[in-house]
Amino acid sequence: MSATDSPARTATPSPPQTSRAGAERVCPAGRLALCAGAVAWLFIALLLGLLDSLKFHDPGFLAGSPYLSYGRVHAAQDTALLYGFAVPASLGVGLWLLCRLGRTVLAGRFVVFLGALFWNFAVTVAVIANVCGGGRGYDYFDLTVHCAPLFFVAYLLIGVCGMLTFHQRQPGPLYPSQWFVLGSLFWFPWIFSTAAMLLLLMPARGTLQSAIHWWYVHNVDNVFLGFAGLASSFYFIPKLLGRPLHSRQLAAMAFWTIALFGGWGGIPQGAPLPSWIISLGVIGTVLSAVPVLAIFTNFYRTTRGDLKRLDDNLTLRFSYIGLLFYFVAAAQQIVGVLPNVSAITALTWFGVAQKQLFHLGFFALTMFGALYYIIPRLLDVEETAWRPKLAKAHFYLTVIGIVISYLSLLVCGVGQGVLLANPAHPFADVMRSTLAPLRVSTAGDLLVVVGTILFLLNFALLLTRACFKCWADCCVGKEKQPA
Amino acid sequence: MNSGATLFLGLFVSMACSFLAFVLGPQLQIGNLAQTDTVVTGDASPQTYPIGQPGDAHQGAEVYRANGCAACHTQMVRPWSLGPDIQHGWGVRRSVAEDYLFEQPVLLGTQRIGPDLANFGRRSDLNGILFRLYDPRLITPRSLMPSYRFLFEQHAIQGAASPDALVLPAQIAPPAGYEVLARPQARALAAYLLSLRQDVYLFEAPPPLAPKTNAVPAATNSTAK
Repeated sequence: MSATDSPARTATPSPPQTSRAGAERVCPAGRLALCAGAVAWLFIALLLGLLDSLKFHDPGFLAGSPYLSYGRVHAAQDTALLYGFAVPASLGVGLWLLCRLGRTVLAGRFVVFLGALFWNFAVTVAVIANVCGGGRGYDYFDLTVHCAPLFFVAYLLIGVCGMLTFHQRQPGPLYPSQWFVLGSLFWFPWIFSTAAMLLLLMPARGTLQSAIHWWYVHNVDNVFLGFAGLASSFYFIPKLLGRPLHSRQLAAMAFWTIALFGGWGGIPQGAPLPSWIISLGVIGTVLSAVPVLAIFTNFYRTTRGDLKRLDDNLTLRFSYIGLLFYFVAAAQQIVGVLPNVSAITALTWFGVAQKQLFHLGFFALTMFGALYYIIPRLLDVEETAWRPKLAKAHFYLTVIGIVISYLSLLVCGVGQGVLLANPAHPFADVMRSTLAPLRVSTAGDLLVVVGTILFLLNFALLLTRACFKCWADCCVGKEKQPA
Repeated sequence: MNSGATLFLGLFVSMACSFLAFVLGPQLQIGNLAQTDTVVTGDASPQTYPIGQPGDAHQGAEVYRANGCAACHTQMVRPWSLGPDIQHGWGVRRSVAEDYLFEQPVLLGTQRIGPDLANFGRRSDLNGILFRLYDPRLITPRSLMPSYRFLFEQHAIQGAASPDALVLPAQIAPPAGYEVLARPQARALAAYLLSLRQDVYLFEAPPPLAPKTNAVPAATNSTAK
């Protein structure tokens, strides 16, 4: 861990270094609850995804029960992944980054803990509602009228503490990760409240609902999750390489162009909406090549020649591969909106492959990288407390699983689109032919599930160790006091 | 970029741009769409379109939503130039915003694992839909759709057989003395699916000018003499 503690003293920005002792000797319960809840929900989401994937091996599999039918399990999986895993993980890691980069302690620790409990309660309600058929049916927004306000209040509780933490930072220049964390903190409540108002509480008329829904999903992915994941990449990759970030200006350009154009798009071409909205979405998505290129250049220059270092640090390895998947997912998204490509690939498995790569490949891997670094520091145990073999197996299983799953879904989507483009092919026959790659993707899903089990095991062992250490410290402390 | 205020102002402005363009913009343009008396083609008498859903279809829409049908089925027909939907027989014209005025919630779907259903009412009947729900492979032998038998019930025939009982082929028929009946949810869902039809031509959705072959449609204009 020599790299982590050697400050890079140059004029260009590098993640500010702090002594570990000061900032984090406060109760970690809030952020720990966010992170642990996130990982548990990720595991549930992956299990539900595996269940849905198995249904392509036999359409009769578990079809007898309404609670386990494909549509409901699919909705529950999306809810668990986005609201159970992605949002709390972004908050847990974001709050930690705000404390670390602002050289301060978390404001309102108890409120954050309360917010985390609220949030996880709301996710439980939402997932149960999905399985019972109570959600409103929108992809990635399959919530009930009752749990949306709960989500909103829980987010506000945590988000306000994040803002206060940012406010009480030590004076000094802001590091790019702070912009990105703030961007994500600010973005989610706005888009979520808009969607909740106009889809659940006072539903808009007709296809306006679809316009708002697509806008919400596109913003959640590209701006909210993009900001939250990139905040972590911008912090950990330069820091663990012990190198300064190549350019603050490029990072600023990426930040503002994502904020401006990242939320434009997500509407399939030919959708029953005025054409100008769809065209604007295409323009925005193509323009999002600008931030992607800026980020690529920035990290390419930052990490050039240092790839061998990937072997000796787990966090670095996860963050780096996650970032690579970000570029692939972004490139696929841009190619997918070009009119000639979209006529073939729209509404097929092509889009599912892209979303899965973005959520699991980019976001989940980046968050795993951050968690490997953050959790020992929150619990005040040394980073070597992770079992290295479990962690290594987790890394390889997850990455190989994601690649298998992604490639097979991509082949599946392109094949489906190309075959359907010829109307002579009957629909049912085309869908039969997609079964082979779909069944291969189940193998990938299975590997990711096993990898996550290993991570949970490793996490449990670390927690036990931290508890023992805490208990020993207390006992030793009490014995010493009378002396 | 070192002051929180600048950051917030910038984020606020960029957020507002995207909100104005993608939420407020469409609201201003199509938020006030209303039913019209319109028929564009032929000598047919004027017709009101769209018409509201009948009560059972409205209940069926809830069954459609609750069981996540939209995870596999879309309900939008794209124009010729943007996909082969019309050639597949999923509709006679593209879908437009007006078609969905009485849908709640509007579930256009994002992925096609099953065929598009925007005009399913045009190409199916009550028995066909109930058979498909009970065992999809009765109608389409190569279908991937799971069966939704929990929307049906099987019970002993008491007295005379029910006239509504499903007439199933021998290999999946219930044992002698039993019959299979659709539960109310299945009937409501069928009523909803039968109500799905977008076959009135509108000003913004005229009959498509179909290309005769698979050639690029644009070529016909330039080569015309």
